[in-house]
Amino acid sequence: MTRRAAAWLLSLIMIAPLVVLSLLSVAVQWRYPSLWPSAFHHRLWLDLLHDGRALGLAFLASGLIAAAVSVLATVGGLFTSQRVARHRRHSALLRLAVLPFAVSPVVMALSLNYGFIRLHWAGTVPGLILAQTLFAYAYATLLLNSLWSARMVALSNLAASLGASRRQLWTRVRLPLGSAVIGVCLFQTFLMSWFDFALARIIGAGRVVTLPIKVFEYFGSGDLRLAAATGLLLMLPPMLMLVLNRKGLAWPLAHEASA
Amino acid sequence: MRSSAARGMPDPWITVFLVATGGAVLLALGFSALYGLGLIGTRSSGLTLAHWQAVLTDRGFWTALGFSLGLTVATLTLCMVSALAVVLLLAEQLRRPPLGILIYLPLAVPGVVAALVAYQVLGDGGLLARITHSLGWISQPSEFPSLVFDRQGLGIVLTHWAMVTPFFVILLDRLMDHERIPAFRQLARALGASEWAALRRVILPLLSRGALPLCTVYGVVLLAAFEVPLLIGARFPNMISVEIHERIGQFDLTLRPQGFVMATLYLVILSAAWWLGGRWLPARGARR
Repeated sequence: MTRRAAAWLLSLIMIAPLVVLSLLSVAVQWRYPSLWPSAFHHRLWLDLLHDGRALGLAFLASGLIAAAVSVLATVGGLFTSQRVARHRRHSALLRLAVLPFAVSPVVMALSLNYGFIRLHWAGTVPGLILAQTLFAYAYATLLLNSLWSARMVALSNLAASLGASRRQLWTRVRLPLGSAVIGVCLFQTFLMSWFDFALARIIGAGRVVTLPIKVFEYFGSGDLRLAAATGLLLMLPPMLMLVLNRKGLAWPLAHEASA
Repeated sequence: MRSSAARGMPDPWITVFLVATGGAVLLALGFSALYGLGLIGTRSSGLTLAHWQAVLTDRGFWTALGFSLGLTVATLTLCMVSALAVVLLLAEQLRRPPLGILIYLPLAVPGVVAALVAYQVLGDGGLLARITHSLGWISQPSEFPSLVFDRQGLGIVLTHWAMVTPFFVILLDRLMDHERIPAFRQLARALGASEWAALRRVILPLLSRGALPLCTVYGVVLLAAFEVPLLIGARFPNMISVEIHERIGQFDLTLRPQGFVMATLYLVILSAAWWLGGRWLPARGARR
């Protein structure tokens, strides 16, 4: 009974951020010390839509940048992970994939920004895509490494020995067998970019406005209601994944445990 | 078609990978080192060690690094202890709704939104202050202990704790299954071990072995945390990423090279830690 109560309490804590953001986004007045907003109105969401041009552009920019990063990183990671898996320095290469994260993407971005400015890539969408892809590609290579199991290699060899071309090997054997992991990789690299604030702020230089940057701007200007509504928009894709396939959202954790 | 390796040339994908990972880190290190030495940049005036001297003798960098380390250790400890308690006490509840589903919810909250929620909950006019007010413990917001923009970094620790603990719960729960820990625990108890001895001699060693790599990854992520300390951290002391960001981004261009010196030091220290960690931690590939 106590454990059930503890589980319910913990569940409430887990859902608290969503509740707080939702309330904040529709609260007309929520003055101290009220525990509950005194009035609600969905007009605030309509205001958000009317601020549409700026927010719509941020939503579109975030979506397009994340889609580009996700596809580039996953395709690159797919081919690279295959070469890494059969490389004699397999372990050292995998450790190298961790290096950009180990030395902090923020500090790396601050240092590399000098090069981006000199090449006039700072403050541009392609520049931000390139910066985010650097990290997403390393992550995709790590994540897709699990694809090249003994079974995958044996099936690829079997298909090749039966006369499959390189193209057929990919389209008939490798991609169908690895579709689940590739899907997770596409989604997770999408999320890396979708959630990214640091690189968007540093490399984007205030000229590439994405959703996390909008949340920061609204927060900084004290408009917590718009910040909360934008934050909810930001949480939309992962929430969708949570409903459809929550294991996909936490895939590396599951993999880490069973590796 | 002959492969690149067969022709004695490096594989193009491996080359791209080396450039995108090690190459990018070396490039970052190169830019920040040259900037810190006064050799490049808008106000470069030729080789100088003045910026290095300023950073190495000033407390700013070491305070920020120490503060980040302290908060990282505190957060990781809190996360591990609370995740372990949840997994050991609520194992059954973690397998069915609502907890089995909602434990994944914090994974959908990005850092910038977590900071916003933390401000709304932990601030002196926030939800916790309102609850304590309604309980009659405080009469005005200023009586509520400062949990955001505080110099102790309590708000940062609490926010990261709330963000990261569910990850650890999911990981430890999977490890419990994978390492068959409940069976070993039962065996230890049947052989006469106390609950505490079973935890200390059986459960913790098995879990720590599996959780160590991810713990290290999160340690590095928390050490360089950016969004949360930027939004709800105090002006001083800063976490290291925010300190470097502010030095490089500030209006006084004469101080900018000091930011790059800090970046160089941080990149060198963390690269060395990564190299040592690679030798110390078992490689993922080798564990298979």
